[in-house]
Amino acid sequence: MFAWLKKFSRPSALKANGVLGMNARNYKIIARCNNRRLYPLVDDKVQTKRLADKAGINTPHLIGVIEYQHQVKDFLELVKNHPQFVIKPAHGSGGKGVLVIKHWDDDCFVTASERVLTFKDVYQHISNTLSGLFSLGGQYDVALIEEMVNFSDIFKDFSYQGVPDVRIIVYKGYPAMAMMRLATAESGGRANLHQGAVGVGLDIKSGKTLNAVMHNLPISVHPDTKADLKSLVVPFWREHLIIGAKAYEMTGLGYLGADIVLDKNRGPMMLELNARPGLAIQIANGKGLVEVIKKIDKTYPQNLTAEERVDFILNMKK
Amino acid sequence: MSKFFTVRKVLTLFLVLSVIFAAFSAYYKIKYWGFDFRPNRTTKVWNIDANITFEPTGEPIRVSLGVPSSGDEFKILNEDIQARGYKVTKNTQENRVEFSSSAKEKSQNLYYRLTIYDNEDGNGKVREAKVATPRKPLYDEQQRQMAEEILTEAGKLQGSWPQKIIQIFNQEPMNPTLNAFLPVKMNQKQRADKIIELLAVKSIPARLARGVRLEEGKQAAEADLMMEAYDGNKWMLYDLNTGKEGLPKNFIIFQRGGTSLLDVSGGEDSKVRFSVLRSVVSSFKMAAHRSELNNYKIMFDYSIYNLPLLEQNTLKWLMVFPLGILIVVLMRNIVGIKTMGTFTPMLIAMSLVKTGFWAGLVSFSVIIAIGLLLRAVLSKLNLLLVPRISAVVIFVILIMQFMTIIGYRMNWSIASSAVFFPIIITAWIIERASITWEEEGAGNAVSEIFYSMVTAVVTYLVISNEYIRHITFAFDEINLVILFTVMLLGTYTGYRLTELKRFTPLAKGE
Repeated sequence: MFAWLKKFSRPSALKANGVLGMNARNYKIIARCNNRRLYPLVDDKVQTKRLADKAGINTPHLIGVIEYQHQVKDFLELVKNHPQFVIKPAHGSGGKGVLVIKHWDDDCFVTASERVLTFKDVYQHISNTLSGLFSLGGQYDVALIEEMVNFSDIFKDFSYQGVPDVRIIVYKGYPAMAMMRLATAESGGRANLHQGAVGVGLDIKSGKTLNAVMHNLPISVHPDTKADLKSLVVPFWREHLIIGAKAYEMTGLGYLGADIVLDKNRGPMMLELNARPGLAIQIANGKGLVEVIKKIDKTYPQNLTAEERVDFILNMKK
Repeated sequence: MSKFFTVRKVLTLFLVLSVIFAAFSAYYKIKYWGFDFRPNRTTKVWNIDANITFEPTGEPIRVSLGVPSSGDEFKILNEDIQARGYKVTKNTQENRVEFSSSAKEKSQNLYYRLTIYDNEDGNGKVREAKVATPRKPLYDEQQRQMAEEILTEAGKLQGSWPQKIIQIFNQEPMNPTLNAFLPVKMNQKQRADKIIELLAVKSIPARLARGVRLEEGKQAAEADLMMEAYDGNKWMLYDLNTGKEGLPKNFIIFQRGGTSLLDVSGGEDSKVRFSVLRSVVSSFKMAAHRSELNNYKIMFDYSIYNLPLLEQNTLKWLMVFPLGILIVVLMRNIVGIKTMGTFTPMLIAMSLVKTGFWAGLVSFSVIIAIGLLLRAVLSKLNLLLVPRISAVVIFVILIMQFMTIIGYRMNWSIASSAVFFPIIITAWIIERASITWEEEGAGNAVSEIFYSMVTAVVTYLVISNEYIRHITFAFDEINLVILFTVMLLGTYTGYRLTELKRFTPLAKGE
């Protein structure tokens, strides 16, 4: 009769593992570390990209920005030399409104998920983006057109369609926790954990798999590709961490999530930053954030450069 | 860390202070004003506010209002007239209150306030020794024949003559002769006049009666119309829509016979509007007396219980909201339920109070379901955002109209309750649910609506409770306690209830 109660844990049991709850995140961390004034830097992808260029962080090249409805009809002018491109809302979140065109000619646009669209469809999509369909709070938005990332084949077996990306939580400039998000058939090629994507917790020192979950439950192989998730190792791990660490100086946000993808030719690239990163990463890692946050607060040295901080973590004794 | 600890300490201090203040204030109100924690059960006391408004024309003003006579079947506890700058006289002969003053400029607002006991004992019998037989109406030959025919037709119906005639007036479809007899367009009063006219053919004296149906929370309503007919030794009241005999429970008559309820000379666009409040205020009325006796009148004068009833009713409604807000905070930050829009559930709960629980729930679900269907069609058209949400708003309005008409025709009050839901909010729920549906599947959309409704229902159960509404109104200091509770909850950093489940894989030692 009380079986359903077993699904709940005692708060003390969660506390023992240092699990960070939503209220604590908002009140103790975000409110203290993230000045609201800084949010536009990460909520607006055009600004983020500009800052990243200045800070020397790799991002996908910008093809153009469409700001007004009357410019929408000319978007072909912008992309005419680009066989592949990505359209993004500047204020989107959670991958909403991202349209990846991997091949096009004349009136035929093929998306990453093999959907075939017409000029009119793409036009409509950009127009919707400008009117705020995908933006936070529905405010007017602008559309970015970027070069498509040439995803490294290393993760090909680990993701069903979609793009695997690495999410690093950075606290006061120190990479604190990391995970990789793998799309599944169930998540519809998206990398959102609550839609059924696989979350793989990564060891912050090595980029190797710690633990993998889907729908909050531990798994060992990818449900669609059957790849062994334990064998996952993220190459260029130091470069990944440096992107995360640099994002701190770049934005001034004390608590942020950096989303990073691996390009075949250009290496790790920052896709976007988040000033309110979610808490599911704890489940993917099998441990809470509180412990490492406390350690960073108390024992990690201050006033280091981004590279020095990353090296400090990489050289840390277990 | 220590800095935030201080915020919490300060808020805790304020919370404690507000609790002490509320407790003291409650003690004071109970002791000196005679307030009670229970909603007053002596529902036999009613407060009626007649609010007269008009625009002066620049001539000397004379206003005359028909009022209940003290000799009638209920007891007048208290009578109060608020008309600054007017000379007020009471004409007991004709049961009218007369206000007179020199010319005024701004629009005028006069109050006549009455506190009465229940009227059940009288049962609507008004003795009056002699009543003149009414003069027969002057009809031409055709009208006379039609009247005869209608009366013959009515004669086949049951009940007394007044009842028979009221019945035939309310038949659906209308008797063709009657239809021809009556003018095409009639208001309630003209209709009643026709009934009285036909009764005069039968030599039965009849007259109009205007009064107020005593319903809790009635605000700015027009006077209700009834008819009185003389049955040989007493006047009997009749409901003009049902033909029911006798004074209905909770009906108080302000004026009888041919004179009008309100006469205004020196003003135009005059209106009289009635507000009714039951029980709670009655104890507050007593409170005024008690406070006077105890020399604590000043405090009372500056409390909400001394405001006109219209304002009191509005405030009584407002005073319960902080509690609804507290519940939304609890549901979101302590329980961790995700709802659509922060206060959407509370707005739905407010509508449920007006529509009644099940009727509201059913009709709201129907609106959302039809709205989602229409929205699915809309999404194929790929409209821009603002025109699309605007279209959904118009959909909602049309659905409400449709449901109200169907509800009225079919006599389903459930459907007609649709009109009470906030239009914009409903449209946004449909829009957001439909986007969630497209992007994250039907399951997610339904669960989001479901959890919003759960929150709305919990909020409804609290704000519709009579005890709670009484306490938040009579002891309104409790809202200060709620304010600091809500602020203190803003510093809560513990786990949410749903997180205890979500993070279960991370629990240690289980």
